[in-house]
Amino acid sequence: MIRIVPREEYCIGCRLCEIHCIVQHSRSKNIIKAFKSERRPVKRVEVEEEGHVSFALQCRHCEEAPCVTACLSGAMSKDPETGAVVNDPERCVGCWTCILVCPFGAVRRDEAERKAVGKCDLCPDLEVPACVANCPNEALLMVEE
Amino acid sequence: MAARYDYAIVGNSAAAINACDAIRSVDREGSIVLFAEEKYRCYSRPLISYLVAGQIESKGMYYRPSGYYRSMRVEFRKGARVEAVDAGKKTLTTADNEKVKWRKLLLATGFKPFIPPVPGLEDVDYITFVNWDDAKRMLARTAKPARVLVVGAGLIGMKAAEAAEARGAEVTVVEKMERVLPQALDEQASRMVWERCREAGIDIVTGQGVAALESTGGGKGKATLEDGGEIDFDLLVMAVGVRPRAELAEGAGLDCPHGIEVDEHQRTSLEDVFAAGDAVSAMDIVLGKPAINALWPVAALQGKYAGLNMAGREVPYPGCNSMNAVEFFGLPVLSAGVVNPPEDGYEVIARRVDGGDYRKVVLQGDVIVGMLVAGRVERAGILTSLIQERANVRRVKNFLLEEAFGHIHLPRSVRQERIKETAAGIMKAGAARDEGV
Repeated sequence: MIRIVPREEYCIGCRLCEIHCIVQHSRSKNIIKAFKSERRPVKRVEVEEEGHVSFALQCRHCEEAPCVTACLSGAMSKDPETGAVVNDPERCVGCWTCILVCPFGAVRRDEAERKAVGKCDLCPDLEVPACVANCPNEALLMVEE
Repeated sequence: MAARYDYAIVGNSAAAINACDAIRSVDREGSIVLFAEEKYRCYSRPLISYLVAGQIESKGMYYRPSGYYRSMRVEFRKGARVEAVDAGKKTLTTADNEKVKWRKLLLATGFKPFIPPVPGLEDVDYITFVNWDDAKRMLARTAKPARVLVVGAGLIGMKAAEAAEARGAEVTVVEKMERVLPQALDEQASRMVWERCREAGIDIVTGQGVAALESTGGGKGKATLEDGGEIDFDLLVMAVGVRPRAELAEGAGLDCPHGIEVDEHQRTSLEDVFAAGDAVSAMDIVLGKPAINALWPVAALQGKYAGLNMAGREVPYPGCNSMNAVEFFGLPVLSAGVVNPPEDGYEVIARRVDGGDYRKVVLQGDVIVGMLVAGRVERAGILTSLIQERANVRRVKNFLLEEAFGHIHLPRSVRQERIKETAAGIMKAGAARDEGV
């Protein structure tokens, strides 16, 4: 499976990862439309910053994922093939139990269309996840394990 | 000759299904039989309020896809109530007199509503609000404009009230304590939820018990409160509390004064008999002793560890705590651990933020033991994980109430350990516990 590893010594806090994450999860995948005219999806990666230190963090796709066990509806599952922890928006009811148990604060409410959560899906349509591909400083690395 | 199974599971909810998944993750071959008292395949009980409110359809109730039992090679006995367990002979018997032998047994019998002895209650066709049939009855009886009286302002009662309100009913909640959700929430969050409910038109009467009930037929009736006030209703919902369903365990020879007791491997004191879920008293990390936390995520976690241990993996249950994620009329509230400190020796830090957000952290010395976040709840899970880890938070205390509180505030070594290890490793590494954060 792939993992995304943050490298805080290279992160400059530019938040391009957040912007490209939003674009990738938008309907049109067009940066202007995603930000100016469409329903804007929630970001699935977040830059944490304090003073000179910053890094981007998204779902760790945990081996023993607390969100999968805790999910009330069965929407959250771990893909046995890819190892990705994925949320099925059709089955998610927006109870926020995954948010309650995620040690990384990596799940967000996404209520624009209906109550559900949004989280990193490792960009299944891309060879390299958008946040990694668009980091100007290689502060996010994709690692195959 | 009774059929013999490697695993027999009594129950069909969070604990039972997670036990099935865990058993199959270890043992692909062993035979499994599962007894479900209800006529449904596994569904999520907490979703009944979503169903009644029209937020999901019936098909959204199911916890696992159709074909689940077949794909897991679980023999599914639908509508089969287990009446007796013989732990010596390792057999069980259903109400239909099916007898099976088992090698390992899981009791995942769940909870039952507690019904207080109110004079006149026996004549009223009331509902509780704990299963799919209750939801169907509420849907049927709120099809026309109805006056719904909910007795009890705990999680079940308040969710019943919210669902009934969404059906257009005229809803009154009567609660003996002075506030709503007295156990799950603290006073401030209680007030915030109450405010939302009042704006939505729900009438809440606190500090009052129901002294008597009178049926006027067809499920309708009149409640007389302790102060003499009267409330007419078309539908009565009794939601005073829940109790562990331990009759089967007791019949098998277990003494269960406070739920079914288990060791750290979810084993009861009877050989090869395991238990998990809402009927069970298991380690509460925050309290430092066994407790009943009748909550879906806790039941699921216990079921998972019961299943792993039944299949021969010796892995201790990591323990849990009292945790809740709720939302009332658009106000999400997440909490974990101690939210209402019972005595001296706790420190509470709390902050109301403009726009209705509220954050609170409870400390015991320098150890974080509780949290409650209302409004923008996104990053509350970081606090939950520190509580679960019993982390020393002395060095980050000033940041705990910030919405942006996160790994950036933890010492670099702790942060990198957590990010590298992912959730499974957090407990194992115990970085925040040992070093402090």
